[in-house]
Amino acid sequence: MNKFSSRVYQWMDERFHLSDAIDFMKKKYVPVHRHSVWYYFGGVSLFLFIIQVVTGILLLMYYKSGEDQAFESIHFIMSKVQFGWLIRSIHSWAANLFILAAMIHMFSVYFERAYRKPRELTWFTGMLMFFVGLTFGFSGYLLPWNELAYFATKVGTDIAGVIPIIGEPMLYFLRGGEDVTGATLSRFFGLHVAVLPAVFTVLLGVHLLFVQIQGMSTPLHMQHLEEHEIKKMPFFPNFVLRDLLLWLIVLNILAILAVYFPWELGRKADPFMPAPAGIKPEWYFLFMFQTLKYIPGHVLFIDGELFGILMFGLGGLLWTMVPIWDRKSAEGKRNKTVTYFGLLIVIFIITLTIVGWLV
Amino acid sequence: MKTSGTFLLFILAVMVSARVVRADDQCYVCHSGLGDEPSQKFVVDIHFKKGISCAACHGGDSKSDDMDIAMAKKNGYAGVPKGDAISTKCAECHSSAETMKKYGSSLKTDQWDELQKSVHAKVSFTGKEHIAQCTTCHGSHGIVSVRNPASPVYPSNVTRLCSQCHSSAAFMRAYNPALPVDQMEKYKTSVHGMKHAKGDIKVAECASCHGSHGIRSVNDTRSTIYPANLPMTCAKCHSDAAYLKNYKIPTDQFEKFKLSVHGIALLEKKDLSAPACNDCHGNHGATPPGVQSISKVCGTCHALNAELFSASPHKKAFDEQKLPECETCHSNHDIRHATDELVGTSGSAICIKCHSESKNTKGFAVAKTMRALIDSLQSQQKIAELLITDAEQKGMEVSEAKFKLRDAHQARLQSRTMVHSFNEKQFREIVSTGITVAGFVQGEARNSIDEYYFRRKGLGIATVIITILVISLYLYIRRVETE
Repeated sequence: MNKFSSRVYQWMDERFHLSDAIDFMKKKYVPVHRHSVWYYFGGVSLFLFIIQVVTGILLLMYYKSGEDQAFESIHFIMSKVQFGWLIRSIHSWAANLFILAAMIHMFSVYFERAYRKPRELTWFTGMLMFFVGLTFGFSGYLLPWNELAYFATKVGTDIAGVIPIIGEPMLYFLRGGEDVTGATLSRFFGLHVAVLPAVFTVLLGVHLLFVQIQGMSTPLHMQHLEEHEIKKMPFFPNFVLRDLLLWLIVLNILAILAVYFPWELGRKADPFMPAPAGIKPEWYFLFMFQTLKYIPGHVLFIDGELFGILMFGLGGLLWTMVPIWDRKSAEGKRNKTVTYFGLLIVIFIITLTIVGWLV
Repeated sequence: MKTSGTFLLFILAVMVSARVVRADDQCYVCHSGLGDEPSQKFVVDIHFKKGISCAACHGGDSKSDDMDIAMAKKNGYAGVPKGDAISTKCAECHSSAETMKKYGSSLKTDQWDELQKSVHAKVSFTGKEHIAQCTTCHGSHGIVSVRNPASPVYPSNVTRLCSQCHSSAAFMRAYNPALPVDQMEKYKTSVHGMKHAKGDIKVAECASCHGSHGIRSVNDTRSTIYPANLPMTCAKCHSDAAYLKNYKIPTDQFEKFKLSVHGIALLEKKDLSAPACNDCHGNHGATPPGVQSISKVCGTCHALNAELFSASPHKKAFDEQKLPECETCHSNHDIRHATDELVGTSGSAICIKCHSESKNTKGFAVAKTMRALIDSLQSQQKIAELLITDAEQKGMEVSEAKFKLRDAHQARLQSRTMVHSFNEKQFREIVSTGITVAGFVQGEARNSIDEYYFRRKGLGIATVIITILVISLYLYIRRVETE
């Protein structure tokens, strides 16, 4: 450290006790084993979220909500604003990569049984963040007010409206009326830039706090080893530097995607036009959309679509509640049912997504 | 002497046959005795000659000489048919091929069906019947063959028959107040009408174009006078060389029209704004436009071109040489799509028909300049289009510039109109506007293409920097971990 930076550090340390935090991180260790690579996806998700916040704030400087201005303002950002095309493309690509990284992180935590005692709350906050992330994606998709976004939102909110009792009020609440209109756009905009970021930030803070307090989870197969037998690396600087290295690579991937595959704007939404053929939701909703297509009109006495939604709701609840019902892992025993259930879900999602993409 | 003998024999035969009918037809026997008008007319009626009794239409027992029996309701006596009952009564025989064959008739049997589909089958203002019945045109008791000059539907009589209603403003107002009632007056001024007045029954009269029983509104796509059908209707006679051999007029107009820009638009593209024969020649007053009025006729649609031409130096020159205005350069029935090649001094240009380097030299120079300007605008527009396409294919956002390019295209269209002014200054102004727009669009497209390469270069530099950082970080991590 040169003289200037040492003086700055000292100045900060006197006031904020930085050395205590660094000492804490230096004493913190990350287990090293054959599945250590999965630890990095939490950090990648965090990095992509930071990018979303930064690019989102930049987009806010030019974006105008409203059915008469939304599309035009995005068009302006893409064609007139210096580097506007880059910011918008990175925001869109990072949103998708964020969902992907969060999914990988979630499945790795699941298969590693990292949710087991004492990390149940870390899992719950993570799952809540994942659902908020999906809502981010759904609400952000409508904001350009283009044809695809308009009809995807119409179909998406229609599906929500099928739920008994709460479906119709929820549909009205989401749309701000009977149809997807400018009122829906205003609501989604408010949700996307105010409500969801606030909720997500709180959950993220709690989630990171838990991770820092409890440290990284050790896999089940290493649980019986003595402390000195477990291979470890210091969290700071080793793990943090590796995280940083991966973030740089992700940043480069994002730049390549934004330059070579700039996010298209399409045509402005026209509510009076028929829905374009082959309308599909974002890829992370595709497996549900495709499944609903295959469910017959009626299953027993229940409407097919409603049956599908109930099944997905039940599946999501079961998945979220895994720390509660998986007692074996909490006791340090292997639980094959959890593995098979997880594998089934992964295969189901991948298959239906591919089918939905190709059909 | 021989002719007189034949005529006497014919009269005798008619009288004999009439007596035969009379003997059987007590209706006729009685009514002719009374000397009433229907029975007097009926003696020349084709039905009477075919041995058809009054009872065929009026009902009753024609064999009884007792009026109470003959005209008893129980014997089917219906009296004078009213309203639609008239036509349905006619249709009882005229729609039956079997019945018509029995009487040795070769008439079609679809008249009633056709009439029901026609404009005349609309409900009359009484609300109880069709506007027209069979008797409205054919008469009642004195019906004769259409080939008989005494028939109201004989070609020479048809115009008079139709005009009885169609020239009456009072009558037409009740059904179609917007429909003109001057067709007959116009017809009299037409070539058809003038020849018709001289007794030529080969020329077109009302039924020739409108049909007879199945007359439909001009807006009905099945009508013979529907704009897209009209050229075929005219061509029925005007493309028939044998039919028109005595008139000494060409019969290739339809063949030429089919291939013309107007014909393709109307007949192939079904563009009803394109002219049919009547739009240039008139319909009821059809006649070829005179030399001096051609630009006025074409100008009804091509208003700007006609106006510019009228103000141009060519107007006076054409008038002096008695050249038909538009037709001289564009032809008449076979007007082809006007391309830029028509202007200039090259082999395909029209201008060189009158202008050359040694004759009418000023026009020659203007034509040469105009062509150069057109070519310049065309090439600038083409370059702009190619650059825009290139930028689009590179994924760049150029919708605004692409939209702007329409102005260059518009200038090109305007130049094609402005050429009719034959004024170099005015023409240059329009073309310059287009060239300026094309230049602006080219600039925008080039900027977008440069931006495309700038982005890729930027990405390359960023990737190099990030890669150096990644390698440095990797080496640093290794050093930290080794320590």
